[in-house]
Amino acid sequence: MSAAVLRVDRLRVAYAHERGVVRAVDEVSFELRPGERLGLAGESGSGKSTMALAVLRMIKPPGRIEGGEVWLDNVALSGLSDAAIRRLRLAGIAMVPQGSMNSLNPVVRIRDQIADALADHGSLPPRGALTEQIHALLAQVGLPPDVARKYPHELSGGMKQRACIAIAICLRPKVIIADEPTSALDVVVQRQVMQTLGQVQKALGAAVILIGHDLGLMAQFVDRLGIMYAGRLVEMAPIRDMITAPRHPYTRMLIDSLPSLDARGTLRGIPGLAPLLRELPSGCAFHPRCPMAVERCRSDKPAVREVALEATVACHLA
Amino acid sequence: MLRYLRRNPSLTVGLILLGLLVAFMVAGAFVVDAENAQPLSVPALQPPSWDYPFGTDRQGRDLLAVMVTGTPLTLRIGFIAGIIGVGIGAVLGFTAAYYRGVVDTVIRSIADIGLTVPGLLILIIIAVSLKGSLTVNQMAIVVASLAWLSPTRTIRSQVLTLRERGYVEIARLNGMNGPEIIFGELMPNLLPYLAATLVSSVSAAILASIGLEVLGLGPVEAPTLGMTLYWVFFNAAIINGWWWWWTAPLVVIIMVFLGLFFLTVGLDEVANPRLRQLA
Amino acid sequence: MSSRMTASGAPPLIELRDVSKTFASGILGRDRKVALEPFSFTMDVDRPGIIAVVGESGSGKTTLARLLLGLVEPTGGEVLFKGCDLRRLSAADRRDFRHTVQAIFQDPYEVYNPFYRVDHVLTTPVRKFRLAHSKAAARELIEQALQAVGLQPEEILGRYPHQLSGGQRQRIMVARALLLRPRLIVADEPVSMVDASLRATILGSLRKLHEAMGISILYITHDLATAYQVADTILVLYRASVVEAGDVELVVKDPRHPYTQLLIGSIPKVSTIRDWAEEQPATPAPVTGPGCKFADRCPVRLPVCMEQRPPLYRTAPRRAAACVRLNSDPVLAASDFSRLLSPGPRAPRVPAELEPVMVVNASGGEATPS
Repeated sequence: MSAAVLRVDRLRVAYAHERGVVRAVDEVSFELRPGERLGLAGESGSGKSTMALAVLRMIKPPGRIEGGEVWLDNVALSGLSDAAIRRLRLAGIAMVPQGSMNSLNPVVRIRDQIADALADHGSLPPRGALTEQIHALLAQVGLPPDVARKYPHELSGGMKQRACIAIAICLRPKVIIADEPTSALDVVVQRQVMQTLGQVQKALGAAVILIGHDLGLMAQFVDRLGIMYAGRLVEMAPIRDMITAPRHPYTRMLIDSLPSLDARGTLRGIPGLAPLLRELPSGCAFHPRCPMAVERCRSDKPAVREVALEATVACHLA
Repeated sequence: MLRYLRRNPSLTVGLILLGLLVAFMVAGAFVVDAENAQPLSVPALQPPSWDYPFGTDRQGRDLLAVMVTGTPLTLRIGFIAGIIGVGIGAVLGFTAAYYRGVVDTVIRSIADIGLTVPGLLILIIIAVSLKGSLTVNQMAIVVASLAWLSPTRTIRSQVLTLRERGYVEIARLNGMNGPEIIFGELMPNLLPYLAATLVSSVSAAILASIGLEVLGLGPVEAPTLGMTLYWVFFNAAIINGWWWWWTAPLVVIIMVFLGLFFLTVGLDEVANPRLRQLA
Repeated sequence: MSSRMTASGAPPLIELRDVSKTFASGILGRDRKVALEPFSFTMDVDRPGIIAVVGESGSGKTTLARLLLGLVEPTGGEVLFKGCDLRRLSAADRRDFRHTVQAIFQDPYEVYNPFYRVDHVLTTPVRKFRLAHSKAAARELIEQALQAVGLQPEEILGRYPHQLSGGQRQRIMVARALLLRPRLIVADEPVSMVDASLRATILGSLRKLHEAMGISILYITHDLATAYQVADTILVLYRASVVEAGDVELVVKDPRHPYTQLLIGSIPKVSTIRDWAEEQPATPAPVTGPGCKFADRCPVRLPVCMEQRPPLYRTAPRRAAACVRLNSDPVLAASDFSRLLSPGPRAPRVPAELEPVMVVNASGGEATPS
């Protein structure tokens, strides 16, 4: 479908390990429309962060992209040279990586960090226009102009994260990938930062991929949600449908395990452990922990099937 | 182990250099007569030949015998002084860092003051005030008197970072007391670092001892590397063109220092995994 | 000065008397940061409960935990264990204190010494507190504790920390705290670094252990939702002071302090989709005057809020909040504060054996013993 701004088709990322090949991302496919908000949720080891890096071709050895394709506006990324991909990062697809507020350069002022990003892509305007542009960017993320001349340690956590968002949007990208942007922030600041991200995205008309593990946050922000488990995209559906009628047992149990603020006495976890990627169970990776597993689940790996409009599931019983 | 050596070239080079020296000392002990390292044993000022592969010096010492017997002496001084230095440094460093407060202030101040005074000067004063000639072991003690200052400081700062770790608090909650935490929890994690400190301390001690000996303040009767160099200068061997006299000790000294240097760099990498090269 | 006595006449287990903590930094200690305002609290052993302490970073909740555990000394006031100041405990009393009050920390990675296998963290307390007479007895005690938190000893013992997952490591820490059969466990963010699906499991086992063994738990967290599920009473801290306290149902369903209201309103809920309000009041610079600490961010602030710090007003028998808008209610007496946080009459069972409260079968399914 050419309307999609980002298309991922059967992407596979593998790492060479002493005891064999470990597949961190296993045949993940999805589409992203312009202006859409997509969530990718999963627990540690599910492969969601690796997915983001793979889209940006930032997987370093011993990992490598084994197969599949990524299209940005119908341009296949695998065919691009290193220089072309570097131009694309930040200008086409921008990423706000995990813990980015702690990876702001502590000895460089915010305005210089933004200017660096612009200069790297050859978009550095002359001095007067630069100051104006920086102030406009900061205003877009709700930061006052005097933040420009401050150092990162002079800002609070929420302000630092918003500064990171400002850097991410300075070249007006079409896709913004935010990897756990609020995990180190408290709940009140989290809401402000997410609202900022939403406003910025709407103003730019950009699409957002929000990666995280907080389903509540997803419910408040995204249009569609994908759940990853052991490197596979086990379910994807519009958010309302996903929450009210989840199809995959893992999604169902994940939603059930969330502590509610409505009634007490509902503490339910998922027993067992997430599998190590190098020791995946046979068949469906979730079957050892699944209360509904049948014999087929142990032997056959379920394929990703489209079960309704824009909804896919990888389960024999769905 | 062998695989790791391939990934850590510094460690490998250091071990090879020191290994060659050790082989030289061991093999040489079988070949030469130790007596020939003393004066008036052999004809003087012979250039290198089949009988005397390293030549002989003006006092009639067989220089091969001198190297074979003198190198272990120099190394011994270095090791004794280095071990004493790191031993005392570790005790003081751990104590200062773990207990903080007054204890820390006192130890730290003494070490800081000591470090600002020129070490060689102090050593010269000590060596000169000791009556009579020094033995090799006494030499080691003299050098050790200052060798503990730097290890105290560096070990202290390492322990300062470690003591904030979560497992130290858990150890306290588990009922362990101060000394138990120092030896049981902190020290095992510092063993690689202590090894690296030991090697650099030994290196510094050897340098100090050679410095003192070249000035004539060492054990005069012992054929150590530094004393040999002292005789070289005393007899103006360079001007007189007796090149073989100063070449041998120079080569050995260079091998010792290079070997210890590479060993330090290699051990540093073991102690600090972040420095390790990616496979 | 006599310490407060409980009904049974013995001094309370833990008492915080006007405890405050200020950190000084900078040259000559010029910059002062108040980590905890004067705080008084008593915990009795005969009425065990689960108290949640909720606040954001900088609220003082971690400082409170460390003061209770004796890991940091108060700048003002005293922390008393069985009537005796922690700083003046004899060696035997100190061991009694460590036996009675234990902790679980947030980071399941930092708390393990990478040099040792995980057994070390379990065998050390057995040895130091002489919980067993022989190696075999010690091993059995450790295996029981591991099973009580849902772990299989064969999969855990003999491993190094880096070979286990974060969830397993945290559960081992719970087992360690249990080994000593303490009367109080201070759990500082025990599940925030653990996967969501495992959080409920660990918290559920903490709660069951409280019910089965009568252990009091101080559950410190920034996550109101888990606090609501696990605790009986709750304490909300904001910038080193208590702003609201009381029964957890009352406080969460009907918050009275504007900060608590803001907190609950900001929690992204899964049950209602997209109900985060779009408008947000701008955050002006914090004011460090004598008034209410929340005044600079408060949407309903009054002029008097900038000048006076409100005390805790008791709006109902089982709750209180510190907001000047509630001044029609009586001020909470200091001595009633602790009673506000106690769970109400409850008879805890204290069985001799550690019952396994949850066992994970080899296939991964969960089974509770009958």
